[in-house]
Amino acid sequence: QTKWDLASAYPAFNFHTENLVEFSKDVAAGTNNELQITVHPGASLFKAPEIKRATQGGQAQAGEFFLVSFQNEWPSFGADGLPFLASSYEDAYKLYQAQKPMLQKKLDEQGLVLLYSVAWPPQGIYTKKPIESVADLKGMKWRVYSPTTARIGELIGAQPVTIQEAELSQALATGVVEGLITSSATGADNKLYENLSHYYNVQAWIPKNAVVANKRAFSRLDAATQEAVMKAAAEAEERGWKRSQEVNAKSIATMKDAGMKIEEPSAQLKADLAKVGETVVTEWVGIAGADGQALIEAYKASK
Amino acid sequence: MRTFLNGLYTTSGWLAGLSMVGVLVMVLLTIVSRLFSFSAPGTDAYAGYAMAGAGFMALASTLKKGEHIRVTLVLGMLKGGPRKGLELLALSIAVLLSGFLAFYSARLVWESYQFNDISTGIDATPMWIPQLVMAVGTLIFFIAFVDEWVLELLNKGRSTDAGEISLEELTHE
Amino acid sequence: MNEITISITLLVVLFALLAGGVWVGLTLAGVAWFGMEVLTGRPAGDAMAMTIWGSASSWTLTALPLFVWMGEILYRTNLSENMFKGLAPWVNALPGRLLHTNVIGCTIFASVSGSSAATCATVGKMNIPEMRKRGYPDAQIIGSLGGPSTLGLLIPPSIILIVYGVAAEVSISKLFMAGVLPGILLAVLFSGWIMGWALLNPGKVPKAEDNLSFKQKIYETRHLIPVVLLIASVIASIYTGIATATEAAAVGVVGALILSASQGALTWKSFSESLLGATRLYCMIALILAGAAFMTLSMGYIGLPRQLATYVGSLNLSPEMLIIVLGIFYILIGCFLDGISTIVLTMAVVLPIIKAAGIDPLWFGIFLVITVETAQITPPVGFNLFVLQSMTGKEITYIAKVCAPYFFLMVFALVLLWFFPGFVTWLPAKML
Ligand code: NA
Ligand code: NA
Repeated sequence: QTKWDLASAYPAFNFHTENLVEFSKDVAAGTNNELQITVHPGASLFKAPEIKRATQGGQAQAGEFFLVSFQNEWPSFGADGLPFLASSYEDAYKLYQAQKPMLQKKLDEQGLVLLYSVAWPPQGIYTKKPIESVADLKGMKWRVYSPTTARIGELIGAQPVTIQEAELSQALATGVVEGLITSSATGADNKLYENLSHYYNVQAWIPKNAVVANKRAFSRLDAATQEAVMKAAAEAEERGWKRSQEVNAKSIATMKDAGMKIEEPSAQLKADLAKVGETVVTEWVGIAGADGQALIEAYKASK
Repeated sequence: MRTFLNGLYTTSGWLAGLSMVGVLVMVLLTIVSRLFSFSAPGTDAYAGYAMAGAGFMALASTLKKGEHIRVTLVLGMLKGGPRKGLELLALSIAVLLSGFLAFYSARLVWESYQFNDISTGIDATPMWIPQLVMAVGTLIFFIAFVDEWVLELLNKGRSTDAGEISLEELTHE
Repeated sequence: MNEITISITLLVVLFALLAGGVWVGLTLAGVAWFGMEVLTGRPAGDAMAMTIWGSASSWTLTALPLFVWMGEILYRTNLSENMFKGLAPWVNALPGRLLHTNVIGCTIFASVSGSSAATCATVGKMNIPEMRKRGYPDAQIIGSLGGPSTLGLLIPPSIILIVYGVAAEVSISKLFMAGVLPGILLAVLFSGWIMGWALLNPGKVPKAEDNLSFKQKIYETRHLIPVVLLIASVIASIYTGIATATEAAAVGVVGALILSASQGALTWKSFSESLLGATRLYCMIALILAGAAFMTLSMGYIGLPRQLATYVGSLNLSPEMLIIVLGIFYILIGCFLDGISTIVLTMAVVLPIIKAAGIDPLWFGIFLVITVETAQITPPVGFNLFVLQSMTGKEITYIAKVCAPYFFLMVFALVLLWFFPGFVTWLPAKML
């Protein structure tokens, strides 16, 4: 009997974590308890930025991490964080398929095996006041937390504010932050409606988590077990993408019930943001090189 | 040798102090950049690295000043040979554990370099660079424990009676 | 190996290392290593280094060293003397006199700082020398500092409430509101205890320095202006949005430097002494935090807190019994682990149990934080005990003993909150 530790940074109630728990049950069932995976949620083993590294080093045999976070390391990890490139679950899935071969190859080089990858709900714009075009965002105190969000902040002429997730609520309450881009789920979980009034469902990007295993640990499993793991992973992936859409609908409903104005972007705002998106994607391709070029082309061809 | 070691502890202690100033400067930059809307990317990460510097680089000088906490209840009840025996035992365990910490800190730096581990924040710092302070600080900490161990063995009198500083000392330091 | 054998083995190793005089931070690392490598057969070194680096460089912690530094700067000014001059005329009428300045100082500082170690170090650095100079008994000085300084965790801002809020999906602003009244309740209980003790031991409290008329009292209060200004500017920086709760510590350091300069106390000597002193005090805490981070990791792998919590859940208790059992569980586990670790390690299991029993997660968060407060002063592993040991040179057993009444007061407060949940829920319902 083999025991694995799987590290995750998200709290137990999060749909990614719930999916992980189901995945680990499926693995146990599919292998007659030959492989038991213990899920460690809520960063109880390693914190979010450490999990990928810990899985690479074998401190945890498996882990879940947010792909975009690692684009400093390899720009193509951040392909699903490019703004206004894939703006629906359907497109996001196509982008994933285009990204997948090189993702698997890169992770393999890093000593990791990709088990599955599930999208977060789409990212929307949260503000204190109504916005009609990007010009309305100018000078707004804008939360940035990643290279991409920082660049978007610059391009829309907002005032970038670095605030960690832990202090977001207070920063919103005291007016340190007046606007930000984040997913509908984060908005509902962090109760952003307590301080912000508008949610623009711009579906800016649909980023993914990846669940990976340590390559050495994986190759030590016998072929039948490996197959059972991959089968459970494929099921978890399918389940996760569906769950993500349900969570999106539920989160938006929660925010709406709490009195937040849920709005579709105006044509002007859409056009402005598309321009911002184009700039960011072009710049990104410049950094990501041939890999990035190929990825974008494969994605566009699949659309 | 003595002069070199003391110089090593003092220097690393000052570097820790400098790191503390670094924490202050980085946090202030974050505040001021927001107030006057200029961009100071990555200051939160740099404040964290500076804090690590303050913690790790001060390890040895804090030990040498006897300011690391330990329970001296049993040691205080013993005298002569038994006391020295227990003191040597505690120091031996400390040498082992601090050596373990120093070794794996160095390995962390090496692996970060090997894995090409880069900060996930806006700062995008290669992690092995800030992690060097942990490797160096814990190494000096290990050296300080070996130093204490030798001094205890040779009855040379340790620099302080560790953990037992009176308020008077604190006031007159 | 079953949970009981594992627990006992770890406890034996912990007590042996501590009693043998091994430094506390290294002891925790040693126990963590033993648990992980020997008991579960997992290689511990690389995981340890990664975890320690993560905790030592975590941005959320930066407020701690800065507040410690602020305390060291203020200690070298006559601020504390002035605070006593300003407060003395008012608290002199109360039995226990200046001992109440510890409670007041901690309560005020708790509304600036999110950590109990920082509260203890900052207030202690100022108050201990002043009160010793005036002849107050050590036991009372240390106890009335150790207990009340844990309020740093309950009165907003609070790191631990943020951790709970994230893990439990409870609004952090509501949690902050919910912490205010229980924090004041505890402060009142602490002061009440001091008065009771002073009435029973009238000879042990030094005489009041002088008897002033009401007018003179008001006049003496002017000495409080600098400290009030300093604290007010730090609080204002948070609530006007100039700084976040974490960044406010930097405002505090700058304020302390300005104050020191305005008194002519800021020289190169005093600056460098405060800097190096603060660095060493922080380093002492950081080594223990590093050991505790490794211990948390090791416990995460062993799964001990989680298994215990699962066991509690399997008992199918009534809400009253559940709260009693969980209270005991968290207080016991708090003897050995720091609060953030226990919350992170048990939340996934405990929250569903709480919700199923129909207990309000907001109320439970405050309940939990008070049990974590007790953990700061229960031996063998209690952060405030270590900070106080470093500042007074007393043995940890002695400090734990003099802090014990405050432990029982906190347990009493838990009972009060059960019968009067309005202490927790009234303000958040009113404000939000
Ligand atoms: Na506080
Ligand atoms: Na404790």
